[in-house]
Amino acid sequence: MELTSRTPSGPLAEKWDNHRFTNKLVNPANRRKYKIIVVGTGLAGASASATLAEQGYEVHTFCIQDSPRRAHSIAAQGGINAAKNYQNDGDSIHRLFYDTIKGGDFRAREANVYRLAQVSNNIIDQCVAQGVPFAREYGGTLANRSFGGAQVSRTFYARGQTGQQLLLGAYSALSRQIHKGGVKMYPRREMMDLVIVDGRARGIVTRNLISGTLENHAADAVILATGGYGNAYFLSTNAMASNVTASWRAHKQGAGFANPCFVQIHPTCIPVHGDYQSKLTLMSESLRNDGRVWVPLAADDKRPPSAIPDAERDYYLENKYPSFGNLVPRDVASRNAKEQCDRGKGVGSTGLAVYLDFADAIKRDGQATILKKYGNLFQMYEKITASNPLNEPMMIYPAVHYTMGGLWVDYDLMTTIPGLFAIGECNFSDHGANRLGASALMQGLADGYFIIATSVAHYLGTNALGAVSISDPQFLTIQKNVNDRLHRLLRNSTAGPTGKVTVDEIHKELGKLLWDNCGMARNRQGLEKALEQIPGIRETFWDKVFIPGIGGELNQSLERAGRVADFLEFGEIMVRDALTREESCGCHLREESQTEEHEAKRDDANFSHVSVWEYKGDDETPAMHKEPLTFEFVTPSQRSYK
Amino acid sequence: MWFVRFVSSSIGKKAIMALSGLMLLLFLCSHAAGNATIYMSRAVFQGYADELHSHPLIVLIFSSGIFLVFLVHICVGILLFLQNRQTAASRYSVSTRVVANPLASKTMPYSGLCILVFVLVHVSGFAFGPEHEPIAETVKRLLGHFFYGLFYLVAFAALALHLSHGFWSMLQTFGVNHPRYNPLIAKSTLVVPLFFLLLFGGIALYFMTGIGASF
Amino acid sequence: MSTIDLTLQIWRQKDSDSQGHLQIYTLGGISTDMSFLEMLDVLNEKLTKEGKDPVAFDHDCREGICGMCGSVINGVAHGPEKETTLCQLHMRNFKNGDVLVIEPFRSRAFPIRKDLIVDRSAFDRIIQSGGYVSVNTGGTPDGNAVPIPAKTAELAMDAAACIGCGACVAACPNGAAMLFTSAKVSQLCLLPQGKTERKARALAMVATMDEEGFGYCSNARECEAVCPKGISISNIARMNREYLKAVLLEG
Repeated sequence: MELTSRTPSGPLAEKWDNHRFTNKLVNPANRRKYKIIVVGTGLAGASASATLAEQGYEVHTFCIQDSPRRAHSIAAQGGINAAKNYQNDGDSIHRLFYDTIKGGDFRAREANVYRLAQVSNNIIDQCVAQGVPFAREYGGTLANRSFGGAQVSRTFYARGQTGQQLLLGAYSALSRQIHKGGVKMYPRREMMDLVIVDGRARGIVTRNLISGTLENHAADAVILATGGYGNAYFLSTNAMASNVTASWRAHKQGAGFANPCFVQIHPTCIPVHGDYQSKLTLMSESLRNDGRVWVPLAADDKRPPSAIPDAERDYYLENKYPSFGNLVPRDVASRNAKEQCDRGKGVGSTGLAVYLDFADAIKRDGQATILKKYGNLFQMYEKITASNPLNEPMMIYPAVHYTMGGLWVDYDLMTTIPGLFAIGECNFSDHGANRLGASALMQGLADGYFIIATSVAHYLGTNALGAVSISDPQFLTIQKNVNDRLHRLLRNSTAGPTGKVTVDEIHKELGKLLWDNCGMARNRQGLEKALEQIPGIRETFWDKVFIPGIGGELNQSLERAGRVADFLEFGEIMVRDALTREESCGCHLREESQTEEHEAKRDDANFSHVSVWEYKGDDETPAMHKEPLTFEFVTPSQRSYK
Repeated sequence: MWFVRFVSSSIGKKAIMALSGLMLLLFLCSHAAGNATIYMSRAVFQGYADELHSHPLIVLIFSSGIFLVFLVHICVGILLFLQNRQTAASRYSVSTRVVANPLASKTMPYSGLCILVFVLVHVSGFAFGPEHEPIAETVKRLLGHFFYGLFYLVAFAALALHLSHGFWSMLQTFGVNHPRYNPLIAKSTLVVPLFFLLLFGGIALYFMTGIGASF
Repeated sequence: MSTIDLTLQIWRQKDSDSQGHLQIYTLGGISTDMSFLEMLDVLNEKLTKEGKDPVAFDHDCREGICGMCGSVINGVAHGPEKETTLCQLHMRNFKNGDVLVIEPFRSRAFPIRKDLIVDRSAFDRIIQSGGYVSVNTGGTPDGNAVPIPAKTAELAMDAAACIGCGACVAACPNGAAMLFTSAKVSQLCLLPQGKTERKARALAMVATMDEEGFGYCSNARECEAVCPKGISISNIARMNREYLKAVLLEG
C-alpha cells in the first residue's frame, strides 16, 4: 500500500493556494458529463453534493434516513470554530491551526490542519448567506463564545443547536440542487459495498431499505461522507443508524484505514441506567465551568450525596490538577472518572458515575444566575433522569462521542483507492488523536464546501475514465456477494429462535469488550484478551444470530445485523491498532506509557506517525503501514495540566 | 392567472373565508346597531325601519351584496369542509384534542349550518312577512311565540360559538398575530361574540318572556 | 427503580398496500426510567425471541433533534409530555396498567411504509420548491457585512428550530402542513439574506404544500400544541401575510 500524502510544498500559508493552482480543472461545459456519487448527507455529504452540483456535475446522493435533513451532524450542540477574530482578542488563522494541531496531540498533518483553519472563515460567510440564524450581538454583528478551553472567543453558535442549523443550511443548498435536477437524491438507501473497475472506484451497491432490493449505481468518482464508527461500542452518543459499514466495505476493497483506535470519549454524559439502555446523551461540557466533580472518599459508600460531609468527599480533579481543576481537557476528565469508578468509588445504582455538584456555585452566584447559564441543560437532565440538579448533584459518566480515526486520505481527501474520496468524520485527516470542541462541524463543512470539488476536478482532469455500466461483471459480482452475505445472515433464522442470539445481544457483548479493553485507558493484557475474544463473538454471531423476516422487505433487524457484522470485523483492527500504539496520546491512555505521576506520556520518537491498516483477506492478519508525521512549522510539546 | 391561483390555493380560500367573514361581521354590527333601537322605544325602532326602507335602492344593493357574501362564505366553507374531511376523516382509533377548548373550532361547519337555517327562517319571517304590518309589530308577534324565541336564542348561541373561533381565526388568516396585541385579540374573541349574544339574545328574551307585550 | 406493566395496542401494517390493524401486546416490568423507544426496543427484543416480526418504527438520534421518530400515543402525537419528541418521552409519564394505543402519524400526504413508519418525503419536496436562499458556494460577503438585530435573529431561530418530524400534520384535524411550511418561510423572510426571494418562495412553497395533498388550515392550533420544538402559530400568521402579499402583488 502506497501512502503518498500529496502535501504541497512551500510555506505553510501558501500550500493550499499553490495546490489549487497546480491541480487540474474540468471545463464547466464538460462537468455535466461526469457523474459523482456521494454517500451520506451530514454536513460533509450535503455540502459536497450541493457544491458539486452547483459546479455542474451530475451528482447522485444517498442517505440512510428518510430525509437528508436527519443525518447525525444535526445533534451537534456547541458551535463551529473560525479564525475570524471578530472579537479582536488575538485570534488568527495560525492560532486556530496551532490550537487544533496541539489539541490533536500532534498526530495530524500540518498542511491539512492549516488549510482547515484557512477555509474556516469562508464557512461562516457561506452559512450566514444561506440564512443560518447564528447568535447575534445587539448591534447586529455575529456573537462568539469561548469553547472547550480555548483562550480566544472564536466559536459561532445558534443556541445549543448549531449542528442542526448548519446541517439545515447545507440541506437547503442540497434541496435547491435536487429541485434544479443537479442532484438525484436516494433516501433510505444503505451502501452495501463499493465497486471497483480497473483499480478505480466506479460505483456502489445499495440496499433500498423500504423494498429490500439491491441496486447498482455507477459513477466516475465516489465520495464517502458516512461519519464515524463510535457505535462499535454499542453505547455511544452517536445516532442509532451511525455505522462503519461503508468505510469498512471500502477498506476491504483496498482503502487504508488510519488510526482506528483514536476514539474520543466525552466526560459529561448522562450515565447508563439499565441494560435496556440504547444510547447515551451528551450534556454540554460547559457544565464543568461551575460544577465540581467529586466521589465519596471511601469505596462502596452508598449514602445519598447530601449525607456525605465535605470532609468525606474526594474532589479528585481539583486535588490532582490544582491549576486546571474541573476544567481539565476531555480526555483527562474522562480517564479520571473511570479510574475513580474502577476503585469502587463510583456512585449511582450502577456505580458507574461521578457527581457533578452545583451546590457551591449556587451558593456563590445564586440560583437565578446558574439557571440562566444552564437552565436548558438542567431541564434536559431532569427530563431524562427525573432528578433536579438544583437539589442534588448531577451524575455523569464518560461516553464514546467521536472517532478521529477513519479512512486514510491524502491532501486531496482521496483514499488509497483512486476515485474514492472520504470527507467529514469518516476520514482521519484533521483531528489527530483528539478533536477539540467545535471543530467537527468546521471540518465537515470545510471538506464539503471548499475542498472536495478541487480534488474531484483534479482527479477527473488527470485520469481518462472509460465508460462503465451497472451490468458490468464487476457490478454483478459485487451485488451477488452482497446478496450472498444477506442470505448468510438470514440462514439461521428458518429454524426459529430457540437457542439463538439476537443482533443486539451480540452488539452489546462486543461493545462491552471494546469499552472495557479499548476505551479510555488500555493495556497490552486487556487488548490481547479482546483480540482473542472477538473472533469467538463473531463466530457466535454468524452461527446463531436470529433475524426475523426476509431480505426482500423493510427489515430493521436485518439492517442492524449487517452493521453489527461489520463492527465485529472492524473491532479487531481497532484493537490491533491500539495494541501497536504503545504510547499514550490524545484521547487515550496507554497504561504502559505513563509519567511517574500517572499522566499520559506521548512517545514522539516511536509513534509520530499515522498507522494505516491494509486488509489482507478474511483469514489473514492485516498489515500496518506508517505515514510519518513531520513537523516543520510547529514543535510538538507535551501537555501538562498540573 | 393570479386570481385563479389565489382562489385555488389553500391560503387563498382561507383568506376568502376571512374576508367574507369580516364583511358579515360588519353587516352584523350595523344590524345590531339598528336592532339596538328596540331597547329605546317602539317609536325609535319603527322610525329607524321606516327611514331605512325609504331608500329602497340602498336596501336592494346592500341586501343583494350581503346575500352574495353569504353565498361565498357558505360555498367556500362547505368546499373546505368536504376537502378537509377527505384528507383527515377518522384517522385515528383514539383521537384526542390537546388544545384546551376545541369545541368552537371543531364545530365551525355545524354552527355555521345553524346560522344558515336561522337566516332562512329569519328572512322569511321578517323580510317576507305580511306586507302592511309595521316591522315593530312583526317583531313582537313572532318573538312573542315562546318556541320561536327559543329558536332565536339557540341560533344566537350558535352565532356566538361560531364567532368565538371565527373572530380570532379571521385575524390569524389575515396575518394579524403579534405578541403585543395577542392578549387584546384573545379578549376580543370572547367579548365580541358575547356582545352579540347579549344584544340579540336580550331582544328575543324581552319578547318571549312576555315582558315586551306592551311594546 | 420502579417498574410498570402495560398493555400496548400497536398499529401493524405489512407494507403500503396492505390493510393494517391494531395488535395487542402485554409488556411487564418496564422500568420507568426507560424512554418510550427503549420500551419499544424491549418489546421488539421479546418479539424477536418469540420468532415474531418486531414492530418497525423510525428513530435515529434519540436526543430529540433529528426528527426521525414519532408516533401517535393515545391520540396525541409524540405522547403526553409537552415539547418532547417520542425518544425523549420517558415511561415515568405512564402508570401501571395503562393501555397505550400506538399509531403512526397519519395523513394523506404521509403514506405508511410499515407499522409505524411513514413516508414524509412530501416535506422534503416542500423545502425543495423554495425553502432556501439561492446562493452558490463561494463568493459570499463577509458574515458581518449585513448586521441583523439580535431580536430578529432570535425570531428566525425560533422558527428554524423545526425538526421536520411531522407531528403538526399528524395532530392537525385536517392534516395540514402549515406549521412546517410556515416555519421555513418565516425563518427566511425574517433574515435579510432571505428577503430577495421572499415572494417567489412563499408562492412556490404554498403551491407545493397544496399539491402534496395536505389539508387546509382551520386554525385549530393543535399543531402548536404538540410541536416538540414549541414552534408558534405566529409563524403561520407570518406566512399568511407573506403569501397574501405575494399572490396579490406578484402571483
